[in-house]
Amino acid sequence: MIEFLTAWLGSLPGFMAPLLLASLGLLFCERAGVLNLGVEGVMAVSAMTGAIFALGGYGPGVAILLGALAGVAVSIPFMIAVIVFRAPQIPAGLALVAIGLGASEAMGRDAAHKPFLGLQPILWPEWLTELPIVGRLLFEQDWMVILSLTLAVLATWGMFYTRHGLRLRAIGEDPATADAAGVDVQLYQFGALMIGAALIGLGGAYLSVAGSQIWTEGMVAGRGWISLALVVFAQWMPVRAIFGAVLFGGAEALIPRLQAQGLEVPVYFLSMTPYLLTIGALLLISLSTRTSQAEPGFLGRSYTRQDR
Amino acid sequence: MFERVTLERRAETGALRSALVYVIALAVATTLSLGVMIAAGVPTGALFEELVVQVFLSEAGLARTVTMATPMILAALAAALCLRLKFWNIGIEGQLIMGAILATAVALYDIGGAARLPVMLLASALGGALWVAAPAILKLRFGVSEVIVTLLLSNVAFLFLQHLLFGPFGDTSHNFPTSPVFDETEKLARFGYGDTNTGLIIALVAVAAIALVTHRMRFGFAARFAGDNARASEALGFNTGRIMLISILAGGAMAGLAGGVIVAGTEHRLTQVVGLNMTFNGIIIAALARNAPLMIPIVSFFIAGLSVASASLKVFYGVSEGIVLIIQGIILLTLVTFQFASTYRVTIARQRPA
Repeated sequence: MIEFLTAWLGSLPGFMAPLLLASLGLLFCERAGVLNLGVEGVMAVSAMTGAIFALGGYGPGVAILLGALAGVAVSIPFMIAVIVFRAPQIPAGLALVAIGLGASEAMGRDAAHKPFLGLQPILWPEWLTELPIVGRLLFEQDWMVILSLTLAVLATWGMFYTRHGLRLRAIGEDPATADAAGVDVQLYQFGALMIGAALIGLGGAYLSVAGSQIWTEGMVAGRGWISLALVVFAQWMPVRAIFGAVLFGGAEALIPRLQAQGLEVPVYFLSMTPYLLTIGALLLISLSTRTSQAEPGFLGRSYTRQDR
Repeated sequence: MFERVTLERRAETGALRSALVYVIALAVATTLSLGVMIAAGVPTGALFEELVVQVFLSEAGLARTVTMATPMILAALAAALCLRLKFWNIGIEGQLIMGAILATAVALYDIGGAARLPVMLLASALGGALWVAAPAILKLRFGVSEVIVTLLLSNVAFLFLQHLLFGPFGDTSHNFPTSPVFDETEKLARFGYGDTNTGLIIALVAVAAIALVTHRMRFGFAARFAGDNARASEALGFNTGRIMLISILAGGAMAGLAGGVIVAGTEHRLTQVVGLNMTFNGIIIAALARNAPLMIPIVSFFIAGLSVASASLKVFYGVSEGIVLIIQGIILLTLVTFQFASTYRVTIARQRPA
């Protein structure tokens, strides 16, 4: 039992980090009033790009960074469409999913199924890593895990304790009032979407460069959509997103552990659990709290000054 | 940013303007798509041959295109029925898979006796409707976002399909994950022209029926009204919730039927790729057809041509299948971006406002 717990807790942060990064990115988009459904596609592009650079001999840090940049690049048409041309956000986001998944498939073909040495855990003295239960959880993690947690704290500070954060939230809540107060709505939306795409991209690149250390098609496997649910679950609060990511990542981390234990549940049913859990969590949150109050008031709609 | 630009929502968009915008958007999307194909390695000289001659003008190609278009028509009806009511059903793939699974179950367990084929098709429609019922109820009753739930349930359906194909439904005579081939009485009749089959007639009847309901009957009027302005329709005494539920379930049934038509008409067995890309296909076709049922078969024909062409591009020029997804994304993004020109009136001030 102790062994099982140690192994499960040790693998949990690796599953948590990409979900946390992606949902933080989404939080920025949604706090600015933009519903970005494209997460799944952006993560795929970043994972593919990260893997290509890692295979090309670049260090894992550089590979992750370039992967994140690719995520920003592929999101730019979406940003222009929804911010400048006020395109309806749901179909524009779906288009981003299609472009991202398609591009990762087409451009990543030569890099697919080739393992590489990716991001490694930070080295600690052996007696620390071998501590029961918490040893691997605390002392066998890579720096991206620490970065993702730090970014969640930074995002809270940025959103709730700075003037820019206040403006950002005002735009998501009531762009007309923000506009009247002299806030440049489009500029802030661009900024938020850039930061958002970069964070989502970090999450995607983490999947291949640090997580599986290989690129395969379809490896994002719904994590983008789960992050969308996670933001609702976190009630649009960065720190709460940590708890959500731990919960969902923990459930995901449980699957390979249970398989290793030789549990008598058909493998495909086991793989369904994160999706079913997500739906259950969404239902629970809608029953227990007033989601409609936490949700940015103008989420998913296009603002024009005429509507003021 | 853009302080000199003023946007004003048009109260009404003239038919000429919206047609013009539509045509320009299509032209831009086509140009971009051709660019993508050339960048992916298709020789410029081969484009016309591969995209027009091979898929629409050659006999074998045309048959493949029509066969491919058949389930797409149904998937697009599924999208249109839901999108009209602003219910973002992006789990068409999952509903289609459940339809295909139920139809296959009827065939494999020999249910229905002499009425086997009709029972299979009914079962497939039922499977699709059941699979969309959960997100519909979660949305209408509890306000849970249908976007996430429909998609996640699609993943669940796909995993269930794999479980069946590697388990109880698997054909033990070979190692590929497919079900055994159906009996002759479980196959839709073929026209003797490639793989084209009576599934096409089923799809066209569905189009006609939905067009009739949408444009000629009280329910269709109420549904269009509820989609345009749910509050106003509620205030006028329409039971918006019920209208939405019925439309969404009908949409799911169409997606399920698409699955039934694929297994009974084209594949004659259940395979892993039964729903492949059908969500995007359906949504793109519905968007291009502007949710008008009668436009759907025409648009489906062209989008099916694209899919058929991509299969041969893959064989001859080694072009990845991902290209189709990219092109579909480009078409959708261009279309919604160009809506701008028919929705807003733009004026640009000469000077920055003080």
